[in-house]
Amino acid sequence: MTGLLLYARSRALPATLAALAGTAAFAVWAAGRLDAYLDPDRRVPIVALAPLLASAVIGTSLYSASDELDRTAVRRWWPRRLAHLTALTALAALLVTPAVLGHAETFGPPAVLRNTLGCTGLTAAAAVLLGARLSWLPAFGYVTAVYLGSTAAEGRAATIWAWPMQPGAQTGAWATAVAAFVAGATLYAVRGARPEGPRS
Amino acid sequence: MSLVTDAGHPAEPTEGGQRKAPGGRAPHPLRAEALRGFAPWAGAAVLLTFGGMLAGTADRWQGGWAETATEAHTALLIALPLAAAAGCWQGGRERRRGTEELWATTVRPPLARLLVPALPVALWVAAGYLVAVAAALLATWPYVQGDRPHLALVPGDTAVMAAGTLAGHVVGRVVPTRLAAPLLAMAGYLGLGFLEMGGPAGARPLNPADPVPVGELPVWWQPWAMAVWTGGLACAAALAYAARRRVTALLPLAAALSAGALLAQAGDGLWHTDPLARRQVCDTSTTPAVCVNARYAGMLPQVGEALSGVTDKLEGVRNLPVRWADHGGAPRADEAPLPGLTPLGWSAVRGRLTDPEQFAWEAVTALSGRGDCPEGAVSTRVLWADDAVESYLAPNALQKKGLVPGGPDEERRILAARARLAGMAEDERRAWLSAYFAARAGCDAEGVPAL
Repeated sequence: MTGLLLYARSRALPATLAALAGTAAFAVWAAGRLDAYLDPDRRVPIVALAPLLASAVIGTSLYSASDELDRTAVRRWWPRRLAHLTALTALAALLVTPAVLGHAETFGPPAVLRNTLGCTGLTAAAAVLLGARLSWLPAFGYVTAVYLGSTAAEGRAATIWAWPMQPGAQTGAWATAVAAFVAGATLYAVRGARPEGPRS
Repeated sequence: MSLVTDAGHPAEPTEGGQRKAPGGRAPHPLRAEALRGFAPWAGAAVLLTFGGMLAGTADRWQGGWAETATEAHTALLIALPLAAAAGCWQGGRERRRGTEELWATTVRPPLARLLVPALPVALWVAAGYLVAVAAALLATWPYVQGDRPHLALVPGDTAVMAAGTLAGHVVGRVVPTRLAAPLLAMAGYLGLGFLEMGGPAGARPLNPADPVPVGELPVWWQPWAMAVWTGGLACAAALAYAARRRVTALLPLAAALSAGALLAQAGDGLWHTDPLARRQVCDTSTTPAVCVNARYAGMLPQVGEALSGVTDKLEGVRNLPVRWADHGGAPRADEAPLPGLTPLGWSAVRGRLTDPEQFAWEAVTALSGRGDCPEGAVSTRVLWADDAVESYLAPNALQKKGLVPGGPDEERRILAARARLAGMAEDERRAWLSAYFAARAGCDAEGVPAL
């Protein structure tokens, strides 16, 4: 078995891919149930929650059961970590996008792509700070609070703090989401997920 | 035997080899579980999530006790799934640590082994919720204009949070996957969202996060029945999973089903409109009198001030509505509706009118009583007369700038009508306005005097 396959198994990547596929299938099914073709605004729950769930799946895949052993390896880990995170993020964006095709300016594909980047960035940063298995918590808290709390938010500041709920190509929202992804991915590539010993 | 010691009170060896605290008694495991580990963080997560949502929506609840209560209850939509996920995470702790078998060797019964890590998380989650509610009430207090704090739902909602945490803990024990907690949270969001948006009507009374309209109050027993309904189900799940005699789970299950049946049977009877919302306070020194809903009685001087320009100009005019009314129901024939102070966040924010000029203009448009006329039923001549009256009594921003809709010919006529009304002598204008208001609420041109 090659090193890459061993790496994939050690990170439970088959289960992660299955979970991402399940997330995408559920998002497509839910979009059909919402009759989003009648009103693109009805896609808000999909745009907010599907990337969130995908990021939770990606975050938990960053867990290493043999952290101390990993650190004894002579090979550098950061390329693997970065490839792992970016490949899963790209795959998640690709899989979730079909749920919201069309009407790009009203909670369409760009918004899903942006939210996938932002949520994964938050989750990756949380994996470094809290540990991979609990990495879903900060993004869940933030996105759901913004989901309910930003309905009347307007103005430039709102495009930044309420970036997951912006309908289209608002610059502030994209800048925040990309910054979150770059920061999270860099942090994770450099540091790796927080070691989780028996007390976690 | 306790598996946990408190680092703040180092244990000391004794003759028997056992360790005990300096006070002579080993600290109770619940104390260590409550003060260390995940439980306080779960409370902080609920507080931050709830607080973040409240901060984002402050304009629409700060300043109204009823709005604050509604917002605190609405927060269950996100706080309850988070509580369940926190409990689920805690429930999977022994599996993550690989200490399940070690725990199984202790002399404590399974139920105690379940409750010792579960209860502190439930308590912290409930505490986080209560602190957020208290903070919201304190934030509202300086801006309230009437009414009284609405706390009826808080006990039930707090119990629901604790019950959700306990139920989540059982799920965490049962489901051996890393994704159990986020999946439970997501299922919770989606489930509550579905019940809110498109769930069966019969399930609404059983939904602990069912949105409550502002100004609706529960019957006194609803929060307690909801606490028994959700708490009973959670306790039944815990007992069925961990009790030595699992049949004991039937007791809380029976209580939960009884409470659930009570809630379902009551249906819409669980809620009634706040009697205060049907009352209004009035300033009768003007004509029309100015009334605001008793829930915002403190705004009467502001509203009176905003409308003072209108009432001054209407002095001596006959056939006016008796009052601008704000009693929650449809205005009577001799009343005009006061422009909506609610929902908060638009016309009124934190006890202040956001745009008094716009408010006055809306109040004047309400005087004409033609708001309910079908589109196209009102003739152009009447619309021009309405525009002239609005421009004279309380022009909006566009009317102040002399801007009018339509082409050059229409613009000329509208501006001429405005100029004619403004240029009338006082007595002539009073007579014209009296004739104009005599024809109020009519959708056709009959009775509306020409300009």
